[in-house]
Amino acid sequence: MGNKAKSLVVVQLSGGNDYLNTIVPYGDDEYYDFRKTIHIEQEKVLPIDKVYGFSPHMAPIKRLYDEGKVAVINGIGYDNPNRSHFRSMDIWHTAQPDEIGTEGWLGRVIRDLDPNAENVLTGVNFGRGLPRALGVRGVPVASVGNLETYGLFPDIKDESAKKLALDAFAHMYGGVQGKDPVLNFLGQTGMDALKGADVLRTAPQKYSSSIEYAANPIAQSMKSIAQVLLADFGTRVFYTQHGSFDTHSGEIVTHAKLWDEVSGAVGDFYDDMREHGSEEEVVVMIFSEFGRRIKDNGSGTDHGSGGVAFLIGGNVKGGMYGQYPSIKEADQLEGDLHFNNDFRSTYSTIVDKWFGLDPVPIVNGQFEQFDLVNA
Amino acid sequence: MAYTSALTIRYLKTIGIVNNGSNGRGFANPYDVAFGADDEIFVLNRCDPARRSGIRVGVCNIDEEYLYEFGYGFGDGEGQMTLPVAMAFDSEGRLLVTDEHTNRINIYSKKGDVIGKWGVKGDLEGEFHGPAGIAVDSQGLVYVSDQRNHRIQKYTSEGEFLSQWGTKGANEAEFNLPWGIGVDTSDNIYVADWRNDRVQIFDSSGQYIQAIGDFGEGQETLNRPSGVSVDKKGNIYVTDWGNERLQVYDSSGQFISSMRGEATLSEWAKEFFESNQDEMETRGISNLNPDIPDHLNTPYHISSQTESYFWGPVSVRIDSNNRLYVVESNRHRIQIYQIG
Amino acid sequence: MSENVSIMAHLMRRAGFGATRNELEVCLDDGYEYTVEKLLNPGESNHMPDDIIRRYHVDQSELRQLDGAGSYWLYRMLTTNNPLEEKLALFWHGLFATGYAKLNQARALLNQIDMFRQYGFGSFRELLIELSKDPAMILWLDNNENHKEAINENYGRELLELFSMGIGNYSEEDIKECAKAFTGWTLGNAEYMSVRASKDSIWPYGRIAWHYEYRADDHDGSEKKFLGKEGNFNGEDIVDIIVAQEATANFLSTRLFQYFASDEVDADGEFVISEMMQAYFESGYKVSAVLRSLFNSDYFKSEKCMYSRVKGPVESVVGTARLAGTYQEPTLDVHSLWAQTMFMGQGLLAPPTVEGWHEGVEWIDSGSLVERINFAAKELSDPTKEGVKDIIHRVTAAQKDLSDSEKLVDSCLDFMGPIQVEADTREGLIQFAESQGVVRTEEGYPDQSGSTQIARLIGMIASTREYQLA
Repeated sequence: MGNKAKSLVVVQLSGGNDYLNTIVPYGDDEYYDFRKTIHIEQEKVLPIDKVYGFSPHMAPIKRLYDEGKVAVINGIGYDNPNRSHFRSMDIWHTAQPDEIGTEGWLGRVIRDLDPNAENVLTGVNFGRGLPRALGVRGVPVASVGNLETYGLFPDIKDESAKKLALDAFAHMYGGVQGKDPVLNFLGQTGMDALKGADVLRTAPQKYSSSIEYAANPIAQSMKSIAQVLLADFGTRVFYTQHGSFDTHSGEIVTHAKLWDEVSGAVGDFYDDMREHGSEEEVVVMIFSEFGRRIKDNGSGTDHGSGGVAFLIGGNVKGGMYGQYPSIKEADQLEGDLHFNNDFRSTYSTIVDKWFGLDPVPIVNGQFEQFDLVNA
Repeated sequence: MAYTSALTIRYLKTIGIVNNGSNGRGFANPYDVAFGADDEIFVLNRCDPARRSGIRVGVCNIDEEYLYEFGYGFGDGEGQMTLPVAMAFDSEGRLLVTDEHTNRINIYSKKGDVIGKWGVKGDLEGEFHGPAGIAVDSQGLVYVSDQRNHRIQKYTSEGEFLSQWGTKGANEAEFNLPWGIGVDTSDNIYVADWRNDRVQIFDSSGQYIQAIGDFGEGQETLNRPSGVSVDKKGNIYVTDWGNERLQVYDSSGQFISSMRGEATLSEWAKEFFESNQDEMETRGISNLNPDIPDHLNTPYHISSQTESYFWGPVSVRIDSNNRLYVVESNRHRIQIYQIG
Repeated sequence: MSENVSIMAHLMRRAGFGATRNELEVCLDDGYEYTVEKLLNPGESNHMPDDIIRRYHVDQSELRQLDGAGSYWLYRMLTTNNPLEEKLALFWHGLFATGYAKLNQARALLNQIDMFRQYGFGSFRELLIELSKDPAMILWLDNNENHKEAINENYGRELLELFSMGIGNYSEEDIKECAKAFTGWTLGNAEYMSVRASKDSIWPYGRIAWHYEYRADDHDGSEKKFLGKEGNFNGEDIVDIIVAQEATANFLSTRLFQYFASDEVDADGEFVISEMMQAYFESGYKVSAVLRSLFNSDYFKSEKCMYSRVKGPVESVVGTARLAGTYQEPTLDVHSLWAQTMFMGQGLLAPPTVEGWHEGVEWIDSGSLVERINFAAKELSDPTKEGVKDIIHRVTAAQKDLSDSEKLVDSCLDFMGPIQVEADTREGLIQFAESQGVVRTEEGYPDQSGSTQIARLIGMIASTREYQLA
């Protein structure tokens, strides 16, 4: 088991996760001054120390933290923070805060892991469409909406009819190469898709586990990731997302539910990996495009900057990293938490220390790394 | 403010803020209001596709306290809604909500318990194809505009079919995709005959009385009216959806005035700006009633650029305190006026 | 006759989103050149009415977000009787690529598309002036930050590089002078709108749409030198100089050629482009004249030009739905139709960068190809859909004997396009038709299961490599 390739699971919290109600500065009175309505009561917080603690809806992650498997990256962000969902997410995806980038950082990781694109499953996204983080021209990435029905002709329910369709497809796409390069390319791409899907769909049958994942989408995605990872198809980068963390209103209820779901899913996933002796081969990274305003709006919180990310895994050196930003008025950045470490430091750490790749061309520059994974 | 010798309409306040989630304070494409016995304001959130899981009724009061909300998700299951249009309390204090997609009326208690439902898709008596407006008369009888069957149907409060009138067309007592319904103190029925650009008035048995308005952008005309209400004196208020305004007529159908809206910041909006000073500052140096270039000189475009104006007015209702509520789907708020 | 059908179908695939056989028959009665004129002179178009859309779809009334706005434009493409108007607007959208991600303003983007409809066929000069005044473009390329005292070159640079002449035809100095000429071209309440855009703010009452504003006090009125000319130029004067350049004629003609005729430009293509350039100057920069020259060229009507372009995702989705006869009434499903275009790599109103989308074979990767095939196969293998029913009827009327799989396949290929396919593809289709068994008929018409079989064959044709080409 020990010589398996290392892999990364990225969980994107879409919509802007409220840092202050995730890692709660419950020992700081000013938190309760700024958060008159949208706060987590002191006695409910799961304490890390006398000042900071996890949201009560993160018990499974807190348990892993206590085991030393969770790195909390405090005050993560970038210069001139953008508070628009699309743009800020783009920045995280392309690792290019200053201009509109075209290549995804994880797409580059996949390209460097599998330079000749020999395995169409090196990168797998769970969800429809391709997140920009995975998009690099010429790098194949499978986007899986539903593992059971993934592939061609999911709408043909009748199995024998589907088989006829797939046979015909193979005949039409896999024939002798002709003189038209575009048709040849289409043929090759179609056959790649067919093969990739055939392989991926076998993952659920190969899998058995005592873990029962919840029915919500992120738990189901994490289960699918566990199935594919354990099936050993050579997948190194997994991606999925959950949301919406855009809690302008009704935050207390929504944020609690979302973290119940995410931390439950991540906790179950970790236990699943442990059950299969694979917890040391995978790191889970959880991030969001931005944090939220320090002051609440009476019902929720609005777009801010300065956030928190998590790295979780058997080989992660747990603890608090970065600086939890001061919430004092004078230290704020336009009403927000002031970030103190560039997200590309975390990316570089993963790329270099975990995957052993050169991070500079992947994250567009040299960034100080954290000492938080066992190589 | 609009005046005639007999009528003043004074702007009171605006309630609302756009709700970007699936729960909590604020409105998401509000489509109608109804008033509970204790002065609660019930707001129907139709919700756009991205927010459909939060389809619900929110309850607040005139002091802008957000009290509670209820909903059972998007769909056609128990208590669920897909494309809700309008609502009204029946004589038993139960809330009836029309749904133009599931072709039924959902019935809730004022606390949001699911009590029942009625309606199936079809064009036979009592069946629906796109039920839209709904109103309850003083006898507790229920009127529903059956949009794509181009007719009005009348039921008991238990949903038992009583009668119907109308067919597709543009003549007297014919309809083209009718929408909102209002009732006056004599139980006459007012129908926003949407695609005929008029309001038609009937007695409670469906006998045609008269029509108000014809198509146009002129001062007295209507363009796709969505809602209609009648005050105690018989004055008629019409949300002139296509012209993005409120039209007021006297009880004989004579035009009185036309209002474009004068929304101000709600308390919820003010709280937003308190924690978002950067936006408040730039807002302060802005002209929020700008001159619009010629090619955008339509009511729709002007409203899209002028925050205080009605935009997407889909319903007008009057509470027991003679306050008039204009519901704006596109601005996620309700402008409230005092009728005097 | 059949050659005429092929050429007309080709024209409609390129100048529109493909045509059903019913539509083709009308065009054939009109004749090729008359059809070209009709396409180029659309007049008032017929499409799903705005009030009907707005009443049903709250999101398409408010047009706050990308999904609603994208769906709204899709309805127009799906139901218009002037397909070239939309196809050309889509071209301009790709060329003057303005994206939602930075603006968070769907309404302003749709206003820009409306502007493309209004000016897209006319003078390139007027179009570039309107483009420079377009609020979405102004914010997209930071012209709101282009001040008399502090030049921001972004718009000036892209106007020359990506929108009109192409790199290598001007100097860095020209860019600066160009940018100066556009100082003061901004949008109303620029400060507030820019803060809202950068924060994606919809509070308190949804978005406030944008309009153009000229701030004379922020305009640099000094003497400028631009492309060898000197004067006290304002933006209009700069555009006057740009449109008169040979490079501009070449740039525009080439881009139109690649979008409407062929992804690759060979020597024959170069000749067509030179004719298009001539039409550009002779007509006073009229886009319709340039297109007329292209559509009426021998090259355009040749075998070589047919099926030489990979369909873009939007083109593919809209074409398939139009062939199936779906989305002619408002439906909640339009939202997933919009999502399909995103999954396939072309989010309407959300091009990835100002360079637009990478077209041609770059539309295709294994993920996007699976999405294309699954969508088209599902849409067209349903025998209850009007367009599919119509194909089945025509096939049945043309083929007395539906048990002959070869004839059945050829006939379906004919009435779906006609679509030309490779031998391997045809064999695969015949194999599929045979594997389904003989199509049973009742009184000369396929029974229910027979209709399903033919519909599945139609779906299989929509899954071919050739169906990905236009």
